[in-house]
Amino acid sequence: MINIMINRKEQWSWMLQALSGGLLVFLLGVHWIAQHYIVAGGLRTYQDVLNYLRTPAVFALEVIFLIIVTVHAFLGLRAVLLDTGLSNQTIHRLNLVLLLLGFATIWYGISLVWSILG
Amino acid sequence: MNKRVIRKSWFNPLSGGTGMWAFLIHRVSGLGLVGYLFLHLAVLNILRGGPDRWDAFVALVRSPIFIGLDALLLAGVLLHGINGLRLTMVGLGLGLRYQKQMFWLVLILSGGLLGWGMIKFLTR
Repeated sequence: MINIMINRKEQWSWMLQALSGGLLVFLLGVHWIAQHYIVAGGLRTYQDVLNYLRTPAVFALEVIFLIIVTVHAFLGLRAVLLDTGLSNQTIHRLNLVLLLLGFATIWYGISLVWSILG
Repeated sequence: MNKRVIRKSWFNPLSGGTGMWAFLIHRVSGLGLVGYLFLHLAVLNILRGGPDRWDAFVALVRSPIFIGLDALLLAGVLLHGINGLRLTMVGLGLGLRYQKQMFWLVLILSGGLLGWGMIKFLTR
């Protein structure tokens, strides 16, 4: 346990988790307000969603949001699983699995938006 | 540390006081939000079905049950986010002596923002 705490890789994980979390406070706030409070009636219709995502700045912001939230989510999952006392070999495999799942999540999100925008 | 001790201590917040509650709330809200992330991405697939399917879904989520779930989501987001800022500060060595007070501030801020957010949500 102590080894993990002074391990440089884990320090970088913590920094990345803290940084992504801080960015998410802003990005999630913008996302929540944009989706729930801006449009009349609160929620966007299908056409509202298309118009929203077709704005280049919005599309870029949502992609950045997706990447950062995925990084933060998987680092958090990793932290929870590490607390169950895994062997070094299992941690290594876990890192790989979570990395692949993270990339898959980001790819899925971007390809979904792309297919909707046609 | 014994693996069983680690796992048991997760589910016994009475053993650790305010700190343990803060840890538990942060972990549970985090795991809930991870689950919500995947659910959200899956639900957005409905957009592929065209305007009729999406607009029917929007009509569904305006129901009281879903508004209640939205309140739960907002509570989780606020608790996790604001407590996360507290953890970052503490991790950087800021406010170490006032961790407990900061956590109470987290709860008060989260409750206040939740109330404000839901009022705006319901009166939009």
